[in-house]
Amino acid sequence: MTSGPLDRPDRDDARWERPLGTAPDVWAVFVQGRHRDMHVYAGDVHAPDAEMALVLAKESYTRRDPCVNLWVVRADQIHATAQTAADMFVPAIDKSYRFGGSYRQQRRVLQSSYKASYREEDQ
Amino acid sequence: MPGVLTAIADPSVRAAFREWLVRIADDELVIGHRHSEWTGFGPDIESDVAMSSIAQEELGHGRAFYEQIAQDEGSDIDRLAFGRAPHEYRHAALLEQENDGWEYSIVRLVLYEAFEVARLRLVAASGQEPVAGLARILTREERYHGLFAETWLTRLAGGPPEGPGRVQAALDAAWPDALGLFEATSADDMLLRAGVLTSSPAAQREAWIDAVRPVLDRCGLALPTAAAREGGRRGEHTPAFDRLLAQMTEVWRSDPEARW
Repeated sequence: MTSGPLDRPDRDDARWERPLGTAPDVWAVFVQGRHRDMHVYAGDVHAPDAEMALVLAKESYTRRDPCVNLWVVRADQIHATAQTAADMFVPAIDKSYRFGGSYRQQRRVLQSSYKASYREEDQ
Repeated sequence: MPGVLTAIADPSVRAAFREWLVRIADDELVIGHRHSEWTGFGPDIESDVAMSSIAQEELGHGRAFYEQIAQDEGSDIDRLAFGRAPHEYRHAALLEQENDGWEYSIVRLVLYEAFEVARLRLVAASGQEPVAGLARILTREERYHGLFAETWLTRLAGGPPEGPGRVQAALDAAWPDALGLFEATSADDMLLRAGVLTSSPAAQREAWIDAVRPVLDRCGLALPTAAAREGGRRGEHTPAFDRLLAQMTEVWRSDPEARW
């Protein structure tokens, strides 16, 4: 790891990208709820290696919601945009043309069918 | 639908099978209680959560087997679980021993899970419904328990510098009690003769040793040679169980008629 000001990107306004800078034993956990769903970031576990991380992630993040598959990845491999770069994401002009209504409708349908199937499994 | 016990015509086979169900339920209840003592004290928060979760599942399995008996006999499940004298419990001594360090609990979990999976398979093959079906379903959860235990055992046994010695000491301490899981009583003979069980305690024990040996080998652990310490299957327990039972039943005993 590098040392010096780059380790403290919050003090470095010029830098828009940085490694997450977590401890080496932190693993990010991604849960896939159903086959063909995307893996979604669920949280972290502490573990000395990938196998243990998967074992511990199973009980930490899949006890309630359905899961068919888990990913773990060393959190210190994740790079992030700096907090100070948040401005970059805020639109300055009208971009309503990007919000295709049909996409939203599609997503709503997908989510409602997901919830319905989850309720069935839950019974 | 008749219960699993009333469906057995021969009263001595029925009594023997009841004995077996009590044994399974008691094993699960007692180990579940011991695991639950790690809640808040695990080596890290993730393993604390996992061990607590395993504890809940073992208690749940115990409950499922008690229910089979209670439904059949029209008795109260809490009374069955909490309302007996110590000598009426049929778990093996392995399960009642105090948690003497994380390494002991992990070693015990490894040894017990290997036994538990094989026993559930025996019950599943017994043809005694609905218990056989229940055993098939419960096997699903035991897989994770074994995985958790073996993953931890490997890390502990490979952890320098004092890890291997401490794990070996825990294994040596647990071994005689683990062999006690296979203590044979007249119930086993009866069920073997009736064809409900397809494997004798001695044969189960050999199969169990064959199952745990490669796990222990991989961890560089020596298979202990000590003889079995028995008694649990006949209701003879150690002082550790008196303490456990007093604590576990404290709330229930405060008002045995209460509905929770």
